[in-house]
This record gives sequence, C-alpha cells and structure tokens, in this order.
Amino acid sequence: MSDLENDPILGENQEDDENSDDEREQRRRQKQRRRDDDEEDEEEDEEDDEEDPGDARGKKRRKVRYNTQSSRRLDVSRYLDTIADVDDDEEDDDEDEEYGKDDFLDAGAPEEGDLDDINRRAAQHARLDRRQQELNDEDLAKIAQDVTRRYRPTTQKYTGDMNEIPQRLLMPSVQDANLWQVRVRPGKEREIVFSLMRKAMDLELSARPLQILSVFQRDSLPGMIYVEARSSQQVLQACNGLVGVYPSRGVILVPIEEMASLLQIKKKETTITPGSWVRIRRGKYGGDLAQVLDIAENGEEVGLKFVPRIDLNPKDELATPDGKKRKKLASGLSVGPRPPQRFFNYEEVVKAHGRRNVAKRNQVYVFGGETYRDGYIEKDFKVAALILENVNPTLDEIMKFTRQEDGGENDANVNLSVIAEAAKKEAITVLQPGDHVEVFEGEQTGVHGVVLSIANDIVTLRAQGMDIDGERVDVPARSLRKRFKAGDHVKVMSGHNADETGLVVAVAENIVTFLSDMSMQEVSVFSKDLREAAEVGSSTNIIGNYELHDLVQIDPQTVGVIFKTERDSFRVLDQNGNVRQVLPHQISMRKDSNRAIATDSEGHVLRVRDNVKETDGEGRKGQVLHIYQSFYAFLFNRDITENGGVFVTRTRVLVSQAPKGNLLKPGSVDTTKMNPSLNGGAIGGMVGSQMFRGPRDRLIGVSVSVKQGPYKAHIGVIKDVNGTIARVELQTGNKVITVDKTKLWRRNKDGTLEDLEGFRGPAMGAGAGRGGGRGGGRGGFGPPRGFGQNNFNQNNFNQGSQNPYNQPSFNDDGRTPAPGKTPAYGGRTPMHPPSDSRTPAWNASRTPNPYSGGATPAWNASRTPNPYATEAARTPGWGAGANSNAQGFGRSPAHFGDQANEWNYNGGRTPGHNPDRQDNGWNPTSDDLDSAQTPAASAPTPSAWGSSSWGGGWDNPRGSMGFSAETPAASAPTPAAAETPGPSYLNHDDEYDAEHDHWIFRYPIEDKTGLIITIKNGPNGPADRYDGGIYNGHRGQVLSIQDPGKLDKAFVYIRLLTDGKMISVPIKYIEETPPEKRGDRVIVLDDVDPSKIGTVYTVSGPPEGMMVPLTNEQGSIQMELDKICLYRSS
Amino acid sequence: MSDPVDPNDVAPVAPIPSNARAKQLRACLLCSIIQSPVDFRKYGCPNCEEITQMKQSQDRVASCTTTHFDGVIALLEPETSWVARWQRTAKYVRGIYAVQVKGHVPEDVEQELLDRGIQYRRRDQTEMD
Repeated sequence: MSDLENDPILGENQEDDENSDDEREQRRRQKQRRRDDDEEDEEEDEEDDEEDPGDARGKKRRKVRYNTQSSRRLDVSRYLDTIADVDDDEEDDDEDEEYGKDDFLDAGAPEEGDLDDINRRAAQHARLDRRQQELNDEDLAKIAQDVTRRYRPTTQKYTGDMNEIPQRLLMPSVQDANLWQVRVRPGKEREIVFSLMRKAMDLELSARPLQILSVFQRDSLPGMIYVEARSSQQVLQACNGLVGVYPSRGVILVPIEEMASLLQIKKKETTITPGSWVRIRRGKYGGDLAQVLDIAENGEEVGLKFVPRIDLNPKDELATPDGKKRKKLASGLSVGPRPPQRFFNYEEVVKAHGRRNVAKRNQVYVFGGETYRDGYIEKDFKVAALILENVNPTLDEIMKFTRQEDGGENDANVNLSVIAEAAKKEAITVLQPGDHVEVFEGEQTGVHGVVLSIANDIVTLRAQGMDIDGERVDVPARSLRKRFKAGDHVKVMSGHNADETGLVVAVAENIVTFLSDMSMQEVSVFSKDLREAAEVGSSTNIIGNYELHDLVQIDPQTVGVIFKTERDSFRVLDQNGNVRQVLPHQISMRKDSNRAIATDSEGHVLRVRDNVKETDGEGRKGQVLHIYQSFYAFLFNRDITENGGVFVTRTRVLVSQAPKGNLLKPGSVDTTKMNPSLNGGAIGGMVGSQMFRGPRDRLIGVSVSVKQGPYKAHIGVIKDVNGTIARVELQTGNKVITVDKTKLWRRNKDGTLEDLEGFRGPAMGAGAGRGGGRGGGRGGFGPPRGFGQNNFNQNNFNQGSQNPYNQPSFNDDGRTPAPGKTPAYGGRTPMHPPSDSRTPAWNASRTPNPYSGGATPAWNASRTPNPYATEAARTPGWGAGANSNAQGFGRSPAHFGDQANEWNYNGGRTPGHNPDRQDNGWNPTSDDLDSAQTPAASAPTPSAWGSSSWGGGWDNPRGSMGFSAETPAASAPTPAAAETPGPSYLNHDDEYDAEHDHWIFRYPIEDKTGLIITIKNGPNGPADRYDGGIYNGHRGQVLSIQDPGKLDKAFVYIRLLTDGKMISVPIKYIEETPPEKRGDRVIVLDDVDPSKIGTVYTVSGPPEGMMVPLTNEQGSIQMELDKICLYRSS
Repeated sequence: MSDPVDPNDVAPVAPIPSNARAKQLRACLLCSIIQSPVDFRKYGCPNCEEITQMKQSQDRVASCTTTHFDGVIALLEPETSWVARWQRTAKYVRGIYAVQVKGHVPEDVEQELLDRGIQYRRRDQTEMD
C-alpha cells in the first residue's frame, strides 16, 4: 500500500494530488469488488483519464463501470490492478516488473488456497508477460519520441518562423488554395472563426473532416470572414449548419492579387504620447477631456490626468460604514446626474465625505480609491476605453488643464503651447491653397502669405509684405497658422461652434475672436478652425427632418417653434413661451400650419406669413410663422434678439400690418359669426369633409376602367370609395382591387372612357372638388366645411375673388359685393365688366338651364368649383343643352355682349330659381350673375357659408332678388364671405374659359390629326399641370380628338414625339407648337384660309407678332407666328 | 511536423479559447497565437514556450502577450495553408492566431532570439519586406 503511494510513477504524474485521490478511491472500491478480465480495457481507460487532468468525467465513467461489473468478492490482487492502472505511463520496464513481483508476493499470502484466485493470478501474470513483450517489441526510440512529444511539447525547440524568406516571396501563387469571402452576421465574425476552428477539431477524425485550411477575419472588414480552401464546395461544407453564416449570400472568390492585402490591412495608427489629449469613452467621465501622463509598457494602459467629478452632496450619511457608502456611490453613478467637473479640494471633500475617507500620502490625496494630485484625478485607463481620434479639445476644456499649482489660472501664453500641441496635427489638414497663413515658429517667423500649394507637410506660400514680398517660401505645415485680421468675415469649420459665422474683432496668436452673425455674441475659436467666408448665417439650420422655424410637436400638449439649431439639438419656444432644448428624437412630429388660419383682433383672417402687429403688450411686430389651434401665433421678427426673433402671442391681439383689399368696418356684419366656421374649417377641415360625406359615394357603382398600374385596362365597378382610393371589383376574376381614383377612367355605357370625376380637370384638387360637390347635393353643413378647407388650399383665390373679378363690378354698381360674397354667382360676372347689365341676364338664362335642363344638380355641384365665367358659360351648354341660349353662351359669353344683354332680363329672375335648385353647386357656378341681382342675397350668403346654415342663406337670395340697389350695403359683409370657402372654387374655373373657344376647335381645320401640339401648364397657374407636369414641354402629334361636346371633357389623343408614347391630354393643357426653323411644315390656323399647309421659309425676329413666310403650292404667304402650328401629315 | 507521427495521432493543437468574445484574449507577441491568459499561464505558448517561458508566470504572460491584436485566424492546416505561410506560422501548431499583434517582445526574448541567430520580426506589420 504505502509503496504504492510513493510510487515514482504516481509521483511523476502532473496532477499527482488529484490522481492519487483517484487511486485511493479506486482501491477503496476494489476492496469490495472483484475485477474480471476486462482490466485490460480499463487500463487503457485509466490511461486516458490520467492524461486528461482533473477529470471528473473519467471518474464518472469508472463509477458506472464498476457498478455494472459483477463483483463477487474481495481480492488482494486489487493492488495488482492498481499498479496496472497507473502503469500506463510506459515508464520503465523494470518497474513494471517489480510491481508484478511485489504483487505476486504480497498477494500470495492472504489468497492462498483459493482456486479462483490462482487462476486469476495466472491470467494476470500472463498478461504482464505479454505486456512486457509488447513493450520490448516497440521501438524504444519511438517510445522516447512519444514521451517527448506528449509530455514536453512546450520545450520544443523554437526555430524561428521562416524568417529568412522575405514577405514578397510569400505572395500566393496559383498552387495555393484560394480565399473565399463569406458573409456572416456583423459582430459575430470572431465567434464564427472560433466556431469553425472547433468544428474542424470535432470533425477531424470523423468520416468527413473539414477540408478548409484556415479561416480568418479582420476587424476592419465587418460582416465577412475569409476561408482558405481549394473549392467553394469545401467552404460551403464547412459553413453548413453554423448560425450567423450566410453562404447563401455568395461565397466569393478573392482574386489572388488581393489575398495578401486582406492580411495587410492596417488599422489607422493612433499613437499616444504623454501630453496628448484623449477623451474618456464612457462612465462617469464619459466625454471628458484628459491628458496623457504616461503609458504602460505594453501600450494597453494609459495614465491620465483630468478634472474629477466628485459628488460633494453624497446622499448617504457621513457616518455610514465604508462598504455601504461605496455601494451607494457606485449606484449613484449610473442613476443620478453626474456631478460637475470640479477640482479636488481637500476641505470640500472632507466636509462632504468625512475625514476618514480622504488620506494624504506625500503630495497626493487618496479618496475613494482614486489618486488626486493638484486637484486633478490621476487614473489609469485601458486604451480601449479612450477616444484617441478627433479629440478636438476646446479652448474651455484646455483652460482647465492650465491651472497652476497655486490654483490660479495660467495666462494665455501657457495655453498656447498646450493648444498648439493639440492643434498641430489638424493644422496640416486644414490648410488649403489660398489660405492666408503666417509662420509662427522657425526661421521664417513672422512671414505671412498665401498658400500656393501643399505637398505632404511642406507648404509653399507666396510671402506678402516685408522685403521678401512675392517670393515663394517653403515652410513646414506645422509652423503655420491661419492668419486673420480684424474685419475678416469668417466661418467656423469644425468644433463646437461649427458653422457659426461672424466678423473678426480680435486676433491673439492663434485664437480668433469674432462676433457671431447669429447670436451677436463674441466667440473665440482657434484660427485653425476658421475659414474666410462670405456667407452669413448658419448652414446647420436643418437637423434631421427639422428645420429652423419649424413648428414641432414636443408632447401631446406642447408644440413649439425651433428658433435655434445647435450642433445636434434645437432650442424651441413652445406655445406657452417657454424655451426648451430638445433633441431631434424628442420631437414627435413636425406640424404643418400652412393651412391654418385664425382671426385677428379685428376679425380678419390671419394666415401664416402675414405681417402683423400686437395690439397690446409690447406692440411687437412680426411675420406669422405658425398658427397653432387658431389661438397661438408664433411670430418672427429678426430685430428681436431674444429667442432668435421668435415669439409667441395670441392671435386675438394681433392686427394685420398690411391693409387688406377690402377693409371692412367691423360691426356692420357680425363677422365673428363667421369665424367659428372658419376656424372649424381650418382645423377640422379635413376631418369635416370626410365626416360629412354622404352615406353613399356617388362613384359607387360606376363602371370604370383602370388607367394605369398592373391592372391597366381592366374593367370593373367601384364598390367603395375612401378618400382618393377606390375599391374596384374587376369583371375578370371577381377580384376586388384597391386603386387610386386618379388611375381610373369612367366607362360609359357605349364603351367610351372619360375622366372619373367628370368635369374636373385632372389638375383639380380632387378631394376638394368632390367634397364640395357632394356636400352641396346634400345641402348639409358638410359643404361649407369642405369649402373652408379648400379655400385655404387655394388661397390665392380667396383674395382673388375680392380683387380681380370683383373689382370691376365694384365700379359699376353696388353689385360688386355680391360677387365677392356669393362666389357662385359673382364668379362669372367679372368676366364682362363692361357689360355688367348683361351678366345677370345670361346668368339667368343659363342658370335655369342646368337645373331645369335636368342636369343633375349633383353634377353641377361637383363641377361648380371649376368654372368661373366659363363654367357658367359651359353649364348651360352641357346642361342637357336645354336652351338655345346656352349654346350661345357656350361660345364665349364674354365676347357676345349683345346677346348677353337680352338675357339680362331673365337674369332678374334667375335668382329665384337658384334657391330652388341648389346650394353650393350653384353658387360657385353662377357667381356674378347673382351678384348683380342678388346683392342683398349675397350678403347673407357668406354668413350662410360660415354658419353653415344653408337653407337660410338661400332663402335670402330669393327675397332680395332684383334689389341691386341694396346690394352695396350687403356688400360690406361680403368681403368676409369672400374669404370664406366659397371663392375657392373659383380656382378651378377659368380653365374652361379658354376651352370655350379652344384654338383646336376654333378653326375649321379639316384634318386635325397631324397637328403637333405642345403640352403646357393649364390656365390656372403652375399648380395646374397635366400629370404633375411631367410632360410639360413635350410635343405630341394629335392622333384623334375626343370631343364629347363639352369642352372641359375634351381630350386629345396624342403620340409623344419624344418617346412615341400615346397619351390622352385634356385640351386645356395643349397649345400650338410654333415652327422653329426653316423647312418646318406648318398648318395655318386661320379662319380665312384654314388648313393651308406650308413650309416655313425662315423663322426670325421677336416672337410677338412675327410674320413667318411660308411657301406652299399656292405660292408664298406670310402668317403670324401664333397663327400657325407645326404639322405633320399623318 | 517532421517527427514520424503515428497516423492515428493528430497534429498538436493549441487550446482553443472557449469564448471568442472574451476581451482578455491575448496574443503571443512572438508567434501571434491567441489563447486565454489562463491557458498561457498553464501551458505556456505552444510554439515558443522555449523562449518566452510563460508557463506558470503571470508576469511573463503579461510581458510576452498582448490584448492588442487585430484579426483572428483559425489555422487548421498550417503546413499547406498560404495564410499560415504568409503569417509565418506554418511551422506552428494548429490553433487560433492573430493577423496583427501590436507590441514588441521583451528585450530578453529578443536577445535570446539574436543569440540563436533568429531575426525577430514584429507582428504589427510596421516593417515589411
């Protein structure tokens, strides 16, 4: 027993403690169990186990086996077993032998007489012999080698690593395996390399070992690993089953010439030298500037000096035990705001934390495990925890490090040296040819000039002044600094004040002080950060999605206007007048108040961008930036320095600075009555129009054809309409699709297609028009709302209604007000200012028609918005064509003054009809007519709009019919009305004017196909474009003209000359194409000799009234430029 | 390995660190192998222990290895791999190696190398030939 314990073999075992434990345990068990013949196996197992140090696993295995073994009796020969177990070590043969003998002797005594035992022993001896034999047979040299390799691998001779071969000879050749780039999950590259390593180890002895040679990853190439293998198949095999590897995204072969560079990628060197500046990456001092004191030998740790942040108001009691306190301190770091930077002051700290916690050793204080010297904290940081690049210390920060030992601040001179050091590196990179620089060190000190060129670190400059004026001087860049003089206008290029601009007021060495254009405050920056710049202001007005002067929602209750943008935050003035600083992510949304309106102190409409003045308080003036809830107005006045000139006030105290076209006497009509609806329109407009939409959209059930998109040309029926979206049930496949309404044609019974919304031109605000029209049909309150909204959209009209059209009528008689008010009627009248008398007449005539004519009111309504005079003119025409009059009108009423007159009389009547007929639809349409007769009516109308009391509004007109005299009075209120929704319709109207005698119909040209037309804006300004204006200016050859008898629905089908595409364009978007050059074929648009086709002889001269010589079969003629159109016979 | 090895026996493998993310993984300044500091202390460097003698010595581990390395190579077939040849690790054991190791071996190691006529090459790719 004891000799076993001392067994040299055991002793040699590396993990002797543990193993001897094992042995003992084993023996213990063996006392109760008998070994059978599988000892041999066990021996091997033991061998393994012993090789594997600290093996709990091995023990377990053994246990299991013992338990299953049949153990019949105690046996002394356990010793032998034990020895055999240990014996695995392939040590000395002699020793083995000895064990055998010992065993024999020892075991012999107690076991005698036992037959079994004898047999067993015989077997053991035989085994021992056999083993000895085997050992002898083995090559002793090999054994030695094995031993060496197994137990002394680390003492392998180090022979260097192919040092003698230069790297360039190691470049890969075609014989080498390839590198394959494999995409992996970013951030997991290293783990995947490790996984592949382990996987390779695991599968090494399996049937299918990995065949890859190596795998590597570079930190600078995120999301990729590179596998060295002979084929991509091997790569795929290796990557198969690994999480985070995406071989499906391609296993890309790396070209041989790029292989080496993958391993040569060098991280940008950031060298740390004592004295340089770094920033602490995170933690309590995150972002703080620190100065490097020293660097650990291995370059991993850096000793830093920086301003401490000691909590001088610790929450815990002074008396609390140390441990508890530290805990609290630690937790305080993450939760509360961090304490401010403050120099270590023994007295203060003692006062706050108790004398016991602060120790003084030599020159330094130790507090809370940190060392403090001269007020600074000195602490070691890992390099990884520091920011080494783009440190950009600011002047303020550096100032803190220039404290002298006595606690006083050093003067600027000391600063400069420190700063210069910090700035040196950057100085080189910020210079540009053309910069004014001066040399501040070296032989050329004092020389200044303009940078001519920069080559690496050497700057060539042309000296100015002194006796070397004009000479070229080469100076190292680090000796240069930018030169500014008082009066220069500069811009800050980088740093805290980036993008500030201002006027230099003082220059001290390399610190430039300028007066900021923005804040009117003095700002001091390093000259290296400056550049001369003519521009004023700040280009950082936009951060993220937000811009200076945006109205933003900060929280559900608060909105504010951005009045200053800082580096990455905003200063916002909220509606309560509080200034707050918000970060972009704190803003939930930007609000659009372009359409918002409010009433000012006089009941006028107040809009964004109005110039207003406060009536009380300070009487501040300003331009309205935003209106919020019709109650708050954010104003801007750049003369006010506070809050960047933005201030907030109530709309009720504002008065417009600009005189309005129609100044009303407040009081004659209760304008305030109108306001609510206006307001309502402003804010709830959208919602309102939706809410009040009828239960059934008139488009439902309409047969349509899809205009564009994947379902183009499919035919179906509208099942539902939601806003601009229609759900269409297709005839094919019984499928319901959702399509934008603008992408649908209405499909008539005869198979012809027309615009879905009927009269409205594509350019019309679909929503608006519809809302109005529909609402009208119902006669509910809805329409007014909807209109209100419209108005604002197309605001030009609101005012417009007062001006362009109304004005003329004003002159004539008191009627004018009416037009303003009753937009519907008024609209038209203006057209014929000279013959006012007429207007009513034809209005009348017309008016009845639509209704009586059986034209559906609803339709009218929908249309109404559009036509101005035109509308009117048209309406009759298409209103079932009931009237002959209508026809006449269809032509240009404006032209035919006489006829109009006749109808005047009728006009007198008309109003009466109007009420019967309809609401809004009519109002817009008939505009002026009514105005003429129903001035009185007009007065009420507005209010009707405002208050949305429709019926009332209408009744009046009746009663008031014919009272033109009264009108003027009424007119007073009207203006208010003018602002009201009504006018907005006017917008759409005049398009049709033009169409009435559209040139394309005007001339009796026999064959209009072949005309080359140009697509242009509609008559209603830039917003009135065909298909968003994408075809504007394009030319097309007319293929056919679709003229359903209604000009507003007439289309030309053209083939674009540019790309041959065939499109249908409403005729209001087309115009004649003038010839450009000699030889152009043109057709004459002329009543006299239409259809004359000629060839342009020459085109020259001013476009107005130019006469173009043409030649054709009949000889040559001259035509005005605007009377000819390019033509291509088809 | 030039030794005649039992075919069933496998080429030596360095201990593979269990956690690839571990920040404290260290790379040998001489041979660039990556191991956990525990393994370095326990077994030394599988390639250059003879010279660096890191086994059982925390100080030697600290001075001969570094956490400053970039790029990780799983080297499976050192003898045939071009990557290994390029990295000059072809004669080393299989294991995880760094592409670049920042730092310089201690002077005594460099002296030892000199004495053996081996030229020391930094592994931070500052000197290329």
